Amino acid sequence: MATFALKSFTGLRQSPTDQITFVSNVPSSLSRSQRRTSLKVTASRASPKLANRSLRVAVIGGGPAGGAAAETLAQGGIETILIERKMDNCKPCGGAIPLCMVGEFNLPLDIIDRRVTKMKMISPSNIAVDIGRTLKEHEYIGMVRREVLDQYLRERAEKSGATVINGLFLKMDLPENWDSPYVLHYTEYDGKTGATGQKKTMEVDAVIGADGANSRVAKSIGAGDYDYAIAFQERIRIPDDKMTYYEDLAEMYVGDDVSPDFYGWVFPKCDHVAVGTGTVTHKGDIKKFQLATRNRAKDKILGGKIIRVEAHPIPEHPRPRRLSKRVALVGDAAGYVTKCSGEGIYFAAKSGRMCAEAIVEGSQNGKKMIDESDLRKYLEKWDKTYLPTYRVLDVLQKVFYRSNPAREAFVEMCGDEYVQKMTFDSYLYKRVAPGSPLEDLKLAVNTIGSVFRANALRREIEKLNV
Amino acid sequence: MSISMALFSPPISSPLQNSNLIPKISLSLLSTKRLSLVSLTRASSDNGTSTPASATTVEAPTPKPVSVEEVLAESPSASENGAVGGEEIDMTTTMMTEIKFQDAKWVNGTWDLKQFEKEGKTDWDSVIVAEAKRRKWLEDNPETTSNDEPVLFDTSIIPWWAWMKRYHLPEAELLNGRAAMVGFFMAYFVDSLTGVGLVDQMGNFFCKTLLFVAVAGVLFIRKNEDLDKLKGLIEETTLYDKQWQAAWKEPESSSSSTVSSKK
Repeated sequence: MATFALKSFTGLRQSPTDQITFVSNVPSSLSRSQRRTSLKVTASRASPKLANRSLRVAVIGGGPAGGAAAETLAQGGIETILIERKMDNCKPCGGAIPLCMVGEFNLPLDIIDRRVTKMKMISPSNIAVDIGRTLKEHEYIGMVRREVLDQYLRERAEKSGATVINGLFLKMDLPENWDSPYVLHYTEYDGKTGATGQKKTMEVDAVIGADGANSRVAKSIGAGDYDYAIAFQERIRIPDDKMTYYEDLAEMYVGDDVSPDFYGWVFPKCDHVAVGTGTVTHKGDIKKFQLATRNRAKDKILGGKIIRVEAHPIPEHPRPRRLSKRVALVGDAAGYVTKCSGEGIYFAAKSGRMCAEAIVEGSQNGKKMIDESDLRKYLEKWDKTYLPTYRVLDVLQKVFYRSNPAREAFVEMCGDEYVQKMTFDSYLYKRVAPGSPLEDLKLAVNTIGSVFRANALRREIEKLNV
Repeated sequence: MSISMALFSPPISSPLQNSNLIPKISLSLLSTKRLSLVSLTRASSDNGTSTPASATTVEAPTPKPVSVEEVLAESPSASENGAVGGEEIDMTTTMMTEIKFQDAKWVNGTWDLKQFEKEGKTDWDSVIVAEAKRRKWLEDNPETTSNDEPVLFDTSIIPWWAWMKRYHLPEAELLNGRAAMVGFFMAYFVDSLTGVGLVDQMGNFFCKTLLFVAVAGVLFIRKNEDLDKLKGLIEETTLYDKQWQAAWKEPESSSSSTVSSKK
């Protein structure tokens, strides 16, 4: 690793063989952040040009976030190493991707097992509402198998020039100086030595932590904890005649029996259905909630055999610190899962790409060393683009997942065409579309009406209890 | 009489006892003289272990379907089976029969409004009560959804004035009464202290503020717990934002010091 002969901290650098180039983008980033008054740029000094080599970045974790980040980095001319601990990892996951992801990430259509065009929302009192009438011909929710999607993205990264290593990230030594490398300690598996791999170390300039909800990278940089939900899922193979019902239909069950703060689902996968539920506040009762979910769908999955049981944590909100010096977190490691719907695949991939783009830009295609300010640009862009979406979904969750009456009102509201159109528009294309004010007003009135009716019925129920 | 008592005992053995009785009553009690029977069985509701199967077969005149039999002992144990994860569980054998919500007026997944008529007009109050009973039943005994018998009832068919009359008006009366009492005494109190009469009080800015506070208080704080609930609500609304902005707050350990920004 080349070291630089530093003369001073304020600008001109003398590297051994190259001409000094005063980096021109520093003043602009300085003034921009001064204007923002939100944070002081850590680089009031110029980032030096790297001598004889490109920037080296390690991406820890080879899921959607890692795969997308590694591909963008490699395409940007940066030396990329992707470390993934289990190449055939069959992630327990709903597996739903929005339409925009197919376009934005150029996914081949054969990755998508099923196209869901209909959804059923079922209230606590089993009132079922059909959603999807407003979908156009070409619009659908794609159901994928995570192992297929993850493998595809990793392969694409490799084709672009990234090195994919099968290994387990252990820990990371933080650099002492601002331009010292990060030393990664990991165990490399080469398939022949069996379970125990070889301990190795690697020096890199920057790290992208894409290693999921239990991120070790996050721990290494002291990113802080977050609240998380437990999602529990059973994959059930059901008889063919029952499977035709779920051909292109997914179901969502809401109710106190199914989950106190989330929903239960039946999602169709390639040749079986995934029945699951999740909760944040009552994790100990998850098995009970799962039973209740199965009970609610009983008629439709009767005769099914459970082929797999899986559970995983889902972050509820971002970690307190999403980056530190030259380490950034993306995807589940950062906590980019939306509330209300629990969607994470698209945001993981997009954040991986955004972070990688920021690194490519900040390093000028790998020629310069980066620092925290470059990574902060990724955070800024991310928050600016997606915070409204997150906020809206948070409000929806707070209002409509509170109690059974609220859920009844929610399901009633979902029957409205305008609501369906707005929901699908914002889900499929990831934009909070402004609707027409008149319809919004009607919607507000209807919402209040639904909530009022549901609460009135709840009061009636309480009267009966007495 | 004793046969009929045994008749009602199978429902009692299920976990939530009283709630089970109510819908059963509504469907099997076609005449009022059976009500006395119910009160007797309720008193004896704690002997859960009763003869299940044999008693139910005696039930001749009820409109209940035959599926409601000796299920109760089965369903809890069936759920234990289901809890053993990872195995191949064939779900056909367990949970074949189960109590479903049944009611004479619940036809084809919705309430048959014609059966609710009183003096030629639909009695919306009883529709509301019936729906509440159904929801309560389902809360206590969650049921599977079925494509053959979908639930189609939509609460919006009940006209808005029926809701108003039943829920909004009594509450409004209560709150207005409270506000009136508070207002009267405050007006008297202020008048006795300052000598300012009611009309002049209304012109004063401070008194108008007090009035606003009194109205808001009556509206939002109805029980003592409401104060804490309101505080919790306010905190809740800002929590998510704070979690997102945490990334922009810099702790002292990092090299730069920052001013945290609120977008």
